[in-house]
Amino acid sequence: MQSIQTLPRWRRVLQSNWLYLAVLVFLIVFPHLVGWITGDSPFGVGGRPRGQSVFWQSVFIEVFILTILTMSYNLIFGFTGVISFGHALFFGLGGYILGLVLQMTDLGPEIGLVVGGVIGVIVCGLLGFLMGLVSLRLRGVYFAIFTLAIAEMFFIYIGRWPLTNAEDGFALNNIPELLNSTRNRLTYYYVALVLVILTFLFIRRLINSPTGKVLLAIRENENRAQAIGYNTLTFKLVAITLAGMMAAGAGMLHVILNKKVGPETLGLTYTVDPLLMTIIGGVGTHAGPIIGTAGLHLSERVFNREFIIGSTTINIGQNWSLILGIVFIVVVLVFPQGVVGTWARWRQRRRAARAPTESGRSG
Amino acid sequence: MQRTRGTYMLILTLTAGLLVFSFVTSAGDLGSFGTTLLSGLFLGALYFLVASGLSIIFGLMDILNFAQGAYFMIGAYVTYSLFHMDALKGIDVNLRFPLGVLAGTIIGGLLGAVLERGLLRPLYARPIFQLVLTFGVAIVFGEALKAIWGTEGYGWSTVTSFGIHQSQFEIFGRQFGSYRLFVVAVGVALIVLIGLLLQRTRIGIIIRAGVEDSEMVEALGINVRAVFTMVFTLGCAVAAFGGAIAAPFLGANLGMGNAFLLPAIAVVVLGGLGSYMGTAVGSFMVGLAVAVVARFASEFLNQTVWASITPMLLLILILLLRPSGLFGKESR
Repeated sequence: MQSIQTLPRWRRVLQSNWLYLAVLVFLIVFPHLVGWITGDSPFGVGGRPRGQSVFWQSVFIEVFILTILTMSYNLIFGFTGVISFGHALFFGLGGYILGLVLQMTDLGPEIGLVVGGVIGVIVCGLLGFLMGLVSLRLRGVYFAIFTLAIAEMFFIYIGRWPLTNAEDGFALNNIPELLNSTRNRLTYYYVALVLVILTFLFIRRLINSPTGKVLLAIRENENRAQAIGYNTLTFKLVAITLAGMMAAGAGMLHVILNKKVGPETLGLTYTVDPLLMTIIGGVGTHAGPIIGTAGLHLSERVFNREFIIGSTTINIGQNWSLILGIVFIVVVLVFPQGVVGTWARWRQRRRAARAPTESGRSG
Repeated sequence: MQRTRGTYMLILTLTAGLLVFSFVTSAGDLGSFGTTLLSGLFLGALYFLVASGLSIIFGLMDILNFAQGAYFMIGAYVTYSLFHMDALKGIDVNLRFPLGVLAGTIIGGLLGAVLERGLLRPLYARPIFQLVLTFGVAIVFGEALKAIWGTEGYGWSTVTSFGIHQSQFEIFGRQFGSYRLFVVAVGVALIVLIGLLLQRTRIGIIIRAGVEDSEMVEALGINVRAVFTMVFTLGCAVAAFGGAIAAPFLGANLGMGNAFLLPAIAVVVLGGLGSYMGTAVGSFMVGLAVAVVARFASEFLNQTVWASITPMLLLILILLLRPSGLFGKESR
């Protein structure tokens, strides 16, 4: 076999990313595949969003959105080692800002989307920066406290804010036609997919850059990183600002998909979910957030209904969060590396166990 | 010494400022001022019960127990349901309530022991996961309560209640429920009791030494892990006790956990992480601040939301202005 260094560049990229590319190809053909199997057109039936294909598209769009959120959380929690309990703040606030710009100004849908998007991302980035600036100079636990407090404050305040209809939220009807998730869901599916890919590539590029190496060093041992001469505060601030911006983007996709802005997007759920999904998938890995999000969200879809075992009816959906919480605790205790980390370790151990016999055979 | 004197002056100034502000804005109406004061002290006592465990546990083991609010909730739910359980209706109401409180406290303490022994102990090498775990445990407890008791909250009916809950007293020409005063008295009694425990007993000395340097205490041949379990159990039991005695006034609902966890965190940060004195003083300061703001906001701004976010605003202000807290060492 040829050594990997001597292969042409495209073969090298292919060889180290074949699994990601296979998943990508699957996701690209997925709506059509479902459409072909079930006979329902991926564009909807009779001009309306009906049928299996369209249904599964919306499930996957939600997975994409949550994946972006989880990847942004993984950037600070997994790669930088800073724990935040207020990530929902960026998610919800991004959606709120976009919604307010779209509904309350007369810029029109297209310009409104761009303006609202830019303002939302900048505001959330700035907010992350300021929150970090205040609390990150102190011990790590202060950042957790601070983010929890600010997120909870926004959640309570916006939940009673008359301008945004308090806890009811408000509907979005000023969305560009191309992103209308009722009529053009397939387009929206691909837009969300492209954004997931861009986020993934961006984070991977960042982590492989010199800046990313410093982030990893901070996670491993902050004092040592400081002793080498890095201003660790700056690097942590970079990570948090970027994560806040990405989470804001995810929140915007979420409100456009649901055509509704509501305070539940600021609630604890959207902090807990990325935390769970990161840890279950694998903290500080690139594939972890994807596996964790897809696994949890899809299994929620599958299990969130009544099961009839013998003569008893069990409604798992009702206690889904409880089950998820228990799974989470078990994972933290038993498999703190998550799915990806545990798998990698298992493979490494198997390879190590096999290595001596192989050398023995050749020699 | 200079710093300590400055701290006391600061506490006096802030408290006096709050009281004067409240007095002025109640426009000389002593009854209204009395209500604010009493509800501030009431909240302060409850905050102390949640925050004391939080603070000592943090000082000793470096764990900020995000599940502390859930223990408060557990105490409230257990006491509420035992008091209103049909099977126990035969017991006299004045006995049924203390029994309910006792049961709530014990269950809280047991669950605390389980959390420390079973879940946190394997993770002492990975502090960030401990933080995440307590957060996860808080969610699991909340969901478990939801699964058992449903999403609807419960209010304590005053019809079938016990002696002190029904009685009232009169000051400034206005009726006040004695129950709130009772809670304040219990809170103050516990401040003294826990203070004496920390100052005067052998175990208290070990705990205080552990707050300074737990490795050193371990090196002296003391089983620090056993002390950890005990402190964690007691801390959770005290929080559950707080929920239990709050139940006749606040009822039991799923929002209670966060509604008391965040102010308690603000208290702990205000007092200085790990400082017992700071926690005791800070509890009443935060309680008063919340009550004063609540009064002012509902009277003049016609917006009750400000009362709910006051603890968070306080927390932000403290972190901005004095992150080491009132009695804290320069913490970094």
